[in-house]
Amino acid sequence: MRGGARILRELVRRKGALLSLAFLAVLVLLAVFAVALGFDPVKQNILHSLEAPSRAYWFGTDELGRDILSRVVYGARTSLMTAGGAVVLAGVIGVPMGLVAGFFGGWRDAVLMRAVDVLLALPAILFALALIAVFGRSQGAAMLAVGITGIPGFARIVRAQVLSLRQRDFVVAVEAFGGSSGYSMFRTILPNSWNQILVQVVVLCSIAILLEAALAFLGVGVPPPTPSWGEMLRTGKSYLHEAPYYAILPGLALTLTILSFDTIGRSLTAILENEDAAVTRAEGVAS
Amino acid sequence: MRAHPPGRSGALKRIALCGALALGLFAHEPLSASAQDLKGGTLKVGILGDMTNYDPQQFSTVNFFLIKNLYDSLIEYSEDGEAIPNLATDWTIADDNTSVAVNLRDDVTFQSGAPFNAEAVAATLEKASDPERGKNVYATTSIIKDWTVDGDTAITINFNGPVPDKQITDLLQFLLPIDPAGIDTVETVPAGTGPFKLKDRIVGQSVTMTKNEDYWREGEPILDELEFTIFSDGSAADAALESGAIDLVYNGSPRSAVRLRDAGFQVVQGPGKLVQVFRINTTKAPFDNEKFRQAFNYLMNRPAILRIGYAGLGEPTALPWVPASPAFNPAYNEEFAYNPEKAKALLAESGLSPEAMSDWKLLAQGNDESLMLISQIVQQSLAEVGIDIELDVRQGAEFIDALLSGDFVAVFGGVGNVQKFPSRVATNSIYRVVNNPVLGDPHPHPAYVEAIERVNSTFGEGVADAYDNLNRVLVESAFGIPTNSYEIGLVVAAPNVDGFTKDIDNLLIGRTLGFKD
Repeated sequence: MRGGARILRELVRRKGALLSLAFLAVLVLLAVFAVALGFDPVKQNILHSLEAPSRAYWFGTDELGRDILSRVVYGARTSLMTAGGAVVLAGVIGVPMGLVAGFFGGWRDAVLMRAVDVLLALPAILFALALIAVFGRSQGAAMLAVGITGIPGFARIVRAQVLSLRQRDFVVAVEAFGGSSGYSMFRTILPNSWNQILVQVVVLCSIAILLEAALAFLGVGVPPPTPSWGEMLRTGKSYLHEAPYYAILPGLALTLTILSFDTIGRSLTAILENEDAAVTRAEGVAS
Repeated sequence: MRAHPPGRSGALKRIALCGALALGLFAHEPLSASAQDLKGGTLKVGILGDMTNYDPQQFSTVNFFLIKNLYDSLIEYSEDGEAIPNLATDWTIADDNTSVAVNLRDDVTFQSGAPFNAEAVAATLEKASDPERGKNVYATTSIIKDWTVDGDTAITINFNGPVPDKQITDLLQFLLPIDPAGIDTVETVPAGTGPFKLKDRIVGQSVTMTKNEDYWREGEPILDELEFTIFSDGSAADAALESGAIDLVYNGSPRSAVRLRDAGFQVVQGPGKLVQVFRINTTKAPFDNEKFRQAFNYLMNRPAILRIGYAGLGEPTALPWVPASPAFNPAYNEEFAYNPEKAKALLAESGLSPEAMSDWKLLAQGNDESLMLISQIVQQSLAEVGIDIELDVRQGAEFIDALLSGDFVAVFGGVGNVQKFPSRVATNSIYRVVNNPVLGDPHPHPAYVEAIERVNSTFGEGVADAYDNLNRVLVESAFGIPTNSYEIGLVVAAPNVDGFTKDIDNLLIGRTLGFKD
């Protein structure tokens, strides 16, 4: 990756991005160490149902007397795992597709991009619902649905990068010295595309989290009692009068997470655009 | 012969008949002072689903708002289950309980203007007894052998054998006469004697009814119009009620009702509740083990299920009856109260390994909030005794298909007809004695089949024993574990609406409703 440490420094200099990184870091740490921290999202205490936030229950309790904070923390696990799995799936399929389509062009490009067009024509939520109808409600199904609908994003971005880099001198030089296609694609072009892919990873993470929450809100997400922010919003909306915190707090966690990913994504885009402009200017001066 | 409503003795039969006539005339008496004070106008009602059709024999929950506004039944039940005259002025059950002679009002006309008479009742019986056309009423007519029209206002219904009194009145209460001229088109054009006429319907949006000026009850209906608006979301209906856009919400959720009650709205609960039952497919492991099943009698935290799932509106019950049922026995609630220790003892007696006990899934309906909640409560209760199970969450039609076809190991599902003659419980799929879609044929619990037959064939002093036997068999065979009664057809109304009549099936009765000053 081109100047990873430098990009990180640039990110940290921007207040919005810094806050977002900090929030996501806390979220990830809570999600990873949830068991060790003693959060229990499924323990029912019906005598304490719908209790307002207190010292004992910082975020209050839900209708079954479960600790909402624990469920928000475990909901982060669900969201982040779904997002992570979806990004890996979309990246593993989408990146090679874009590389091959952009590098070879011709019929391979035509076939792969039509396949991408077909995927793009599918509304993500409907496609996800169809998949869930076939495979049933599970985190895997949600991950698969989000991952498949994320493939076109990776494929098109990588293809565009390849088309741009293919004409650059360092790629032409590798080919002139007898570098194989595979070497050119994976050792020359791909390393120079990581920044764009990183932006896409961040963007897809926020889309994946939102889609997972939407599926859970529609009642087709991960099955209970596994916590999910969307599921909490869904059930919490029935208690907006008696216990507004029930829907508001998971909603806030969801909003802040998506906002954080978006802020980081926008900051990354801005940083990379500045870098590209600098490189172009430098190349212009050199020539 | 026993005249109904009943007299003090056989010798007083004539007096009883007079009493019956007097009760029949009750319907003609002027309304009470409070009812007279009510004013007409248009009552705007919010409902949460569209109707299916206008056939009164399509006795589906979604049609509950219209059936008794467009039609009348032969007899009615009071809130505590006592039979009272309606279109029938009186009825006399033969001494051997093989027939009932029914006398009808002579001052009633259908909304088409055609007279209501015994021929109309015969035509209605003919439709109800036809398996193709009888719909939800067909099962109730299985006791009928034939009928004879004895004049313009008299008909005798003969039965296949002796039938208990309560089962006979259940039949009469279930019969809502249809105009013979409109019987073939009744699905699309209402053809009843009811207090309201259909004015307009916009599919999926609204149904409007207008006052039947020729209605036979003096002073009723009070309202000029009944306007039903269909809301796709319960909270939208609640908001409309709170804003004054509508006057009443029918069949909303118990939680909304409790909240609105606290906000000053009226909540009217009727006697026709359903009972929630943890249905068990005893043909599948591990529920083919009787001791394992019996443990579930003690694993239902009924007060919690009622409070969390149904906002406390209803009663915990270990038997599939509500208080209006003659088989209701509250002692069972105490005997089979939530008790994990007793459950553990039975689980140990079952001889099953912990893995075998946990090797099943609890089917749950994803779009039913109450069912999801109570399924999770049970999931937790089971975890406390070492049974770790997952929920098999399905949606809408997929869930209904699984429920009705028996494609499940265990599932919660409501049962109806639990306020009437006890054997009527066998109209619900899990309790059917033949053609049981879950347990199959022959029924795997012969003691239950025998208990139902005994209830159907016992008269006089043995009746109480027959009910006790049925109750004991139900908890011992444990293929259905009742948890609580809950509201169906719940009414939440603005403070200025009054004149509520509680129907035994919780149908919406519009004829006595009106506005206070």
